[in-house]
Amino acid sequence: MTVIEKDSLIGKRLTKMDAPEKTAGKTRYIHDINLPGQLVGMILRTDRVHAIIKSIDTSAARALPGVHAVLTAKDLPQKGLGVNKDNPPLKGERVRCERDEIAAVAAESEEIAAQALRLIKVEYEDLAPLFDPEAALRPGAPVIHESKPDNVAMAFDYSHGDVVAGEAESDVVVEDTFTLHRVTHCCMGVSGIIADFEATSGNLTLYSNTQVPFLHKREFAEVLGMDPGRIRIIQPPIGGGFGSKLDIYPFEPICVYLAQATRRPVKLVFTRAEEFLASPTRQPAIVRLRSGAKKDGTLTFRTVDILLDNGGYTSWGATIPFVMMQTFSSLYRVPHCLYHTKAVYTNNPYAGSFRGYGNLQATFAIEAHMDKMADAIGMDALDFRMKNAQVAGEVTPQGMDFKTCGLQDCLTLAARDSDFAAKRSAYAARKGAVGGVKRGIGMASMLHVGGGAKIYPSDGCGTNIKLDDFGHVTIMTGASEIGQGSETVLAQLVCEELGVPMSAVTVVNNDTDITPWDVGVHASRTTFIAGNSAVGAARKAKAKILAAAAGLSNLPAEQLDLRGGHVIRAEDGESVMPLAKLLRSLHFSDKAELVTTSHYYEPPSVHQDKGFKGNVSAAYAWATQVVEIEVDTDTGIVTLLKVWAAHDVGRVLNRLGIEGQIEGGIVMGQGYALTEDMIMVEGHLKNAGFTDYKLITAPEIPEMSIEFIETMDGEGPQGAKGVGEAPAICMAAAIGNAIENATGVRLTSLPFTPERVYRGLKQGAAS
Amino acid sequence: MTAIERYLAPASLDDALAALAGGNATILAGGTDLMVQSHGGKTRLRPVLLNIRRLPELAGHSIEGESVRIGALTTINQLREDATLAKALPLLAEAADRFASDQVRNMATIGGNVCNASPAGDTLVPLLVLDAEVELASASGRRRLPINGFFTGPGRTLRQPEELLTAIYVPMPRLRTVSRFVKFGTRPALDISAVSLGFKAELTPAGLANVRVAFGAVGPTPMRGPGTEALLEGQRLTPALIAKAAETAMAEITPIDDVRATAWYRRELVHNLLRKVLNDVADH
Amino acid sequence: MSPTIEITFTLNGMPKRISVDPTLSTLVMLREILGLTGTKYGCGEGECGACTILVDGKSANACLMFAADCDGRAIVTIEGVAIDRSADGLRQAFVDHGGVQCGFCTPGMVVQAKHTLDKQPHADRATIKRGLEGNICRCTGYKKIVDAVAAVSGTNS
Repeated sequence: MTVIEKDSLIGKRLTKMDAPEKTAGKTRYIHDINLPGQLVGMILRTDRVHAIIKSIDTSAARALPGVHAVLTAKDLPQKGLGVNKDNPPLKGERVRCERDEIAAVAAESEEIAAQALRLIKVEYEDLAPLFDPEAALRPGAPVIHESKPDNVAMAFDYSHGDVVAGEAESDVVVEDTFTLHRVTHCCMGVSGIIADFEATSGNLTLYSNTQVPFLHKREFAEVLGMDPGRIRIIQPPIGGGFGSKLDIYPFEPICVYLAQATRRPVKLVFTRAEEFLASPTRQPAIVRLRSGAKKDGTLTFRTVDILLDNGGYTSWGATIPFVMMQTFSSLYRVPHCLYHTKAVYTNNPYAGSFRGYGNLQATFAIEAHMDKMADAIGMDALDFRMKNAQVAGEVTPQGMDFKTCGLQDCLTLAARDSDFAAKRSAYAARKGAVGGVKRGIGMASMLHVGGGAKIYPSDGCGTNIKLDDFGHVTIMTGASEIGQGSETVLAQLVCEELGVPMSAVTVVNNDTDITPWDVGVHASRTTFIAGNSAVGAARKAKAKILAAAAGLSNLPAEQLDLRGGHVIRAEDGESVMPLAKLLRSLHFSDKAELVTTSHYYEPPSVHQDKGFKGNVSAAYAWATQVVEIEVDTDTGIVTLLKVWAAHDVGRVLNRLGIEGQIEGGIVMGQGYALTEDMIMVEGHLKNAGFTDYKLITAPEIPEMSIEFIETMDGEGPQGAKGVGEAPAICMAAAIGNAIENATGVRLTSLPFTPERVYRGLKQGAAS
Repeated sequence: MTAIERYLAPASLDDALAALAGGNATILAGGTDLMVQSHGGKTRLRPVLLNIRRLPELAGHSIEGESVRIGALTTINQLREDATLAKALPLLAEAADRFASDQVRNMATIGGNVCNASPAGDTLVPLLVLDAEVELASASGRRRLPINGFFTGPGRTLRQPEELLTAIYVPMPRLRTVSRFVKFGTRPALDISAVSLGFKAELTPAGLANVRVAFGAVGPTPMRGPGTEALLEGQRLTPALIAKAAETAMAEITPIDDVRATAWYRRELVHNLLRKVLNDVADH
Repeated sequence: MSPTIEITFTLNGMPKRISVDPTLSTLVMLREILGLTGTKYGCGEGECGACTILVDGKSANACLMFAADCDGRAIVTIEGVAIDRSADGLRQAFVDHGGVQCGFCTPGMVVQAKHTLDKQPHADRATIKRGLEGNICRCTGYKKIVDAVAAVSGTNS
């Protein structure tokens, strides 16, 4: 007899399942797929920022040989896209920002399509433009959408306690205005879609980069006036998401309309410049924050007033206040909090969702004030944070229920590893805005949803599992893979339940005709929600298998287990039979049966009430990051030397995968803080390419030291929480604090590009 | 993208010069600038696209007397990695090290970098301080021009349409020569410089001799700093002189505001970076 | 349209003879005419490295190279690296060290890493980072990519 040793995959370094094909160049992204007879779709975008369209003349473009369709707004039903339904796919009457879509062509080649666009003549009458979000609220400001005469696209208000009373008991009150800039996702794979429409059946097959296929299926059906049952979305591997593929954007329905008009498949893929112009951005924000504390280090109140530059239309970016308020109300214990946010229309690019979802902006302001108040009351910056940090068991005034919370451990570990206290005082003693290179250390912490976020009627995910007669497992999950490694972690969780090796698993996650429903990849929810769903389906399969094995082995199911591809005796690990043999015997028996199971997981979170109170997530992730930097006061260059990151991740499932998420997030946060900036001049983007929109490159990365705090969340799959967004959130805040530590100058505007830092230091030294 | 009438890839210089004689050819060497500029509509290709990569006369390098002759097709990575070149002209190797990326350095040529005449061209500032000369050939003859004065505007040089830049001659620095190259930026390379700066001088007992100072990206062309050079010539570096040189440099450049930096910041950088370089030389 | 010109070169070890428009880029030729889609379009300006190929053994951005200039040269793409058994260790290192996430930059990264190691088989981490400076990755933060290459060069600390 064979004894199967106990083994666990949890916490191991598992390689990404699709990595070998990716290293061979065999993975076919949307850009690499071509359907027979397909046409090239291309969009004419306006060069105006705010204007009435007087006329569009497409006659020359239509006459060009090789052009199969030219569409303008009058060819389409005028249905708006996005959160406020204010963004029609093609604009016929008015343009509101430079990315606006005016016309679209389908042609036999890129050259012909481009030439056709050049032949389209548009006459405009310019309108008074609006670029400054503060000006948008002034009386007499240009109105961007007639339906919103005050230019307010969305407003969020929240409060708990009484900030007046809080301020009255404060020994120190600080106030600042923080200005956060506009950045964009820069997925390495540019946006694209292929629409294949069959007119007699009405079947539409979309090859799409979406990270929310099921919501998109519904929205496509609404916009296109189609039966959702006729829409199939296939997601080829995605070249990066980071939140950018969470909304439907005009190019997607436009491509479908072109396919319908031509009865041929149409492929529409952006150029990199177009990707910069026409993808969503992170929401620029002006954050006015007033905070108070007592001499003993107790936080007293926070008053927050935020103005978001929504741009010309409303995508998910307008809803980030929902996440920002959680950080203001609940990262630290604040007895009194008053919070107002407005997202206002301007003639700038519109903002979408982006990894971190407002939390980078909120954390930047809060953590600057944590340092400032600690210094004002003469308390150590770490002690001050420890005193106010949330702990497990706390239910915050906003209703967030922290069943597990590793914040104090994050603070302690990151500070210990980095020698934070000693360095902070040593650097402060030498700080200065002039005189060569200065060194600084800074800290920031964060709170983010880690167990989904109930913002849609369901926050759930479905999984189907089938086992074949070789003991091979196919997991069909609603959760999309966008490079983050979800397929590997889901396979791992299922393997752990079914006692099979990773090599026995295939994950199918890219076809709405096959996979069960899921709300989408966002809110760091996939490991937690899809993970629990996969575990649920695997446990049902296991129960079925063990029941069958019990029948064959004359041992009760409770005494059996699955391990190493075998049904075993639980007490001593002895193999009862190979799993494959059992499955075959079920399959080929008189009462032939296949093992297939299905599970839908809905987290035990709640919808918030109208005052935004309620436990919106089933778990919360925590982190502290400490950065050490150098500032060259002669040039303003800030060099990031090292990052110590301590993350409460619930439990480490795939160590290799989670390290990759955290390192990638840190470097994305580094780019947000130091180098990335969409330079807008009167509504026009001046750096639509990697030459002057600077992403971090390999030689610039810091040394990274990562600690995991395992709080073993009771609801999480194997105790894990979501962590996808967390690592990007603290970096700008920590770097801002480190610059102050190095130079004595508090910079309140991002990014910390050399010229801005240099200018800030000059002003700081002068004042 | 513009359509062309003919593509030529001659194997002899005479054939190449004959093709250029009408002045209606666009020269293709490494292609790294030409591809982006022609696809972006910034450069309109002439009717003939002339690939000069097969011309043996334009390849390689040699020591000729007191000068190094660098063939126009010498790649940036050859400047960076060729032991002979890097030893003879360390300043050029340093600038090559800060140039774009490994992939671009493998393709891009020094001749192309000079003829592209970007105000921010990475090799141009070192060539200016090294007193380089360019060799131009046409069907009617050859001429050599000092690189100082060769650049006439952004993307413009004294090269005529029927001329081919065949080589660059760089005098070997004399003994006791110190030279420095500074390219401002947050990355080692892959950056279009907002400011670059070159310095060269001989250290003599009497003071600095044959001082050369040049700047990149602070005017319509890469430029020498004659005022700064005159101030330093024959002098010993003192804190007061260094301060004055930095002031002089920031006053004699002609920067503009663009997406990479404001004119104000470029002046500040030139001031601070030259001060740093001169302090470093003084400590030498 | 420009007149087409005929070029011959070796592609991943096999002879090729095709006609191209002289203004065509090597990237478009590889992807759209020859169907080798492993080489990616990321920016078209030589800034991201997703289209890195080897030309006579040296790395180059296919987006910056005129297809006509392939004439007489030996071109190796990621598909050529993938059939090269001597590069299996490097590709496996990318897998083992977590150097792959969304994977879009990966083919260019692998080709450039191979070139870096061909030049300096024992490249240290700093040299590896400089070697990869023209390859942008938005997912990994580069550390695991550097780990992978350093594992092959024997300089992982």
